[in-house]
Amino acid sequence: MRSKLNFLIGVSLARKVKTKWFVVAQILLCLLVVGMINLDILIKSFGGDFDDAVKIYVVDETESSYEIFKEALLLNEKNLYGEDSALYEIEKIAKVEDKKEEVGDEGGIIVDIKKSEENTIEVELISKETVDTYDYSLISSALNSVKVVLVMDDLGLTAEDYSKIMSDVTITTSLVNENNKTEEEGTEMIMTTVFPIFILPIFVLSLFLVQMIGAEVNDEKTTKAMEIIISNVSPKTHFFAKVIAGNLFVIGQAVLTCGYGGLGIFIRHLLTKGGSGGAAFFDEIGPMISSMLESSIGDKLVIILPLAIVLILLTFVAYALLAGVLASMTTTTEDYQQVQVPIMILSLLGYYLGIMAGMFKGSLVIKIFSFVPFISAILAPSLLVLGQIGILEMIISIVIMLLTNFLLIKYGLRIYKVGILNYSSSGLWKKMAKALKNDSIR
Amino acid sequence: MLKVEHITKYYGDFKAVDDLSFEVKEGEIFGLLGVNGAGKTTTFRMIMGLLDYQDGSITLNGKKIDYSITDEIGFLTEERSLLTKLTVKEQALFFGALKGMSNKEILKRLDELLKRFEITEYKEKKIKELSKGNQQKVQFIMAILNHPKLLILDEPFSGLDPFNIELFKEEILRLAGEGSMIIFSSHRMDHVELFCKKLVILVNGKSVISGYIKDIKKNYRKKNIFIKGDIQKEELKKIGGVLEVVEHADELEVKIESEEIVDKVFEAIKEKKNITKFMVEEPSLNEIFVAKVGESYEK
Repeated sequence: MRSKLNFLIGVSLARKVKTKWFVVAQILLCLLVVGMINLDILIKSFGGDFDDAVKIYVVDETESSYEIFKEALLLNEKNLYGEDSALYEIEKIAKVEDKKEEVGDEGGIIVDIKKSEENTIEVELISKETVDTYDYSLISSALNSVKVVLVMDDLGLTAEDYSKIMSDVTITTSLVNENNKTEEEGTEMIMTTVFPIFILPIFVLSLFLVQMIGAEVNDEKTTKAMEIIISNVSPKTHFFAKVIAGNLFVIGQAVLTCGYGGLGIFIRHLLTKGGSGGAAFFDEIGPMISSMLESSIGDKLVIILPLAIVLILLTFVAYALLAGVLASMTTTTEDYQQVQVPIMILSLLGYYLGIMAGMFKGSLVIKIFSFVPFISAILAPSLLVLGQIGILEMIISIVIMLLTNFLLIKYGLRIYKVGILNYSSSGLWKKMAKALKNDSIR
Repeated sequence: MLKVEHITKYYGDFKAVDDLSFEVKEGEIFGLLGVNGAGKTTTFRMIMGLLDYQDGSITLNGKKIDYSITDEIGFLTEERSLLTKLTVKEQALFFGALKGMSNKEILKRLDELLKRFEITEYKEKKIKELSKGNQQKVQFIMAILNHPKLLILDEPFSGLDPFNIELFKEEILRLAGEGSMIIFSSHRMDHVELFCKKLVILVNGKSVISGYIKDIKKNYRKKNIFIKGDIQKEELKKIGGVLEVVEHADELEVKIESEEIVDKVFEAIKEKKNITKFMVEEPSLNEIFVAKVGESYEK
């Protein structure tokens, strides 16, 4: 004979999975994740001149500005976009008319540098469309350099003098303990890149869980099918079936999402094999991961990761238990929607505190919040990565979460047993208080 | 045998069921009657283990009813208790599995019952798409899917037309014939009289009448005499022991306080002309109910 617990878990999961909406949601999620990973390739595939160099034609009526302009513009570009950048192709032309028609058809910018009695030089930019703000500022900066050099020439200053005047003051940073630097870099990398990727899914999945369990319990209650179900299986079996099914669903969803991520990376790998499009995923993420692992944070992650996973799983169980208990107390779907608001706020608080943990280093309040059940799943690992709390505090958070789950099962089940067969909202809290005192749970 | 012995249930300070006892044997159909709020549904829920009770005991074949034997029980609630988003087949597979049945058993039994209730075409339809009457049929089918040894039917005929009531009656009698113990509550006294051999009438959770219907009627002292002939209502009213005389279209109904009054009434009318009918009848269950409860159950 089938175990009724296993049967109910299977039914709960099937009700979620064997629906058209689940399939539609998975397809959309898969497309979204794959799309996000390949966003740059996707955008470029629809056309555009993202990699095409901007052609700049220079008419130098001063006969001494072109080389200075070219050098200054390329230097500005390298400073801003890196050594490999090749945003501009600069060419000297005799007169504007030589390229005016071409610029009008294909784009580009004509920089017409003329002599000026009042201001050394004056420049006219001729283009097909309005010049891009970034291009304009780089060109403008290069032209200012031209002007400065020409003025300095007039004043008889040498290039060496110019270099001394224009060079930036060299500032170097150093820390007493050099190891801290790599650790901080690793931490910063985790907090700015890796953490948001994980925090958001935890937050979303916890909401999924609360809504899934609540909706199911509510559906069975409002249709009165609960009477038939509970006359065949104990409230305890029913409660655990919902909690286990809910958790299996969100874990499954998390695994599927990771799978979609893997698919996205694989697709990116295939698309970038020929060297076209965006950079290969591992070319970008590889150095980031190795840099993170090489820092001292890498050693910590071996401990942090398993502890964080345990805490997150325990928190999911707690969310499921709480959702089940609250749903059992409500008599309509509208009631449940109201009741789940505090859970959502709690979850949202954890999310924001997790995101902001790095901004309030040393804050006692945030440290205390890292022990608070439900919030701790996001906050405690964040603080542990930041070095604000130690392994011991993390273990305390896990113990508190375990204790919370124990209390939710012990007392929540009493409320659940009475709640699921209660269809009246009058004297609800009195009934629940009475249920808490009754320990005869079948 | 289902044995309910001296059960008492309180909701706070309110006594919902007061020292209630009854027995239902294999093949018996037992009626649980009472006005709304009398404690019928509470009693059903206690039998099903959905509610705890303060005193007494409930046993099925000598065993306390718990989840080890609920597979042998069928339960039809007063209100619809179906997952309306499921199809009839999915609903049966769900409830049947909760009764420990295999999918093969469930589908075989479902086909048999859908055919018997003439709704085979609704097998793949969602419950919410069915009419109220058909939903009630499906609910009844779910309750008897497992060939229950004990079948509890809380107002099984609500929302049904006379034709469908007949279908239900046939199935209830068939199950009783197969040895099922059946308890049911109904607002229809004619159904109770037709089906039940035994009953309990509850008033404020307390049993006011219980036992075999024939004994209840026999022991109920008041009788009715139906008379057709040339006799005035007022003459009959003057006879000692006559409680009330009701005038029907072509006959008079004389309600008397006991069987001994029959002779006195007969003496008074025997000299009258054109007496074509003088018939002594036991009171209807509804009359006994009204007399005991103080208000009509069939209002």
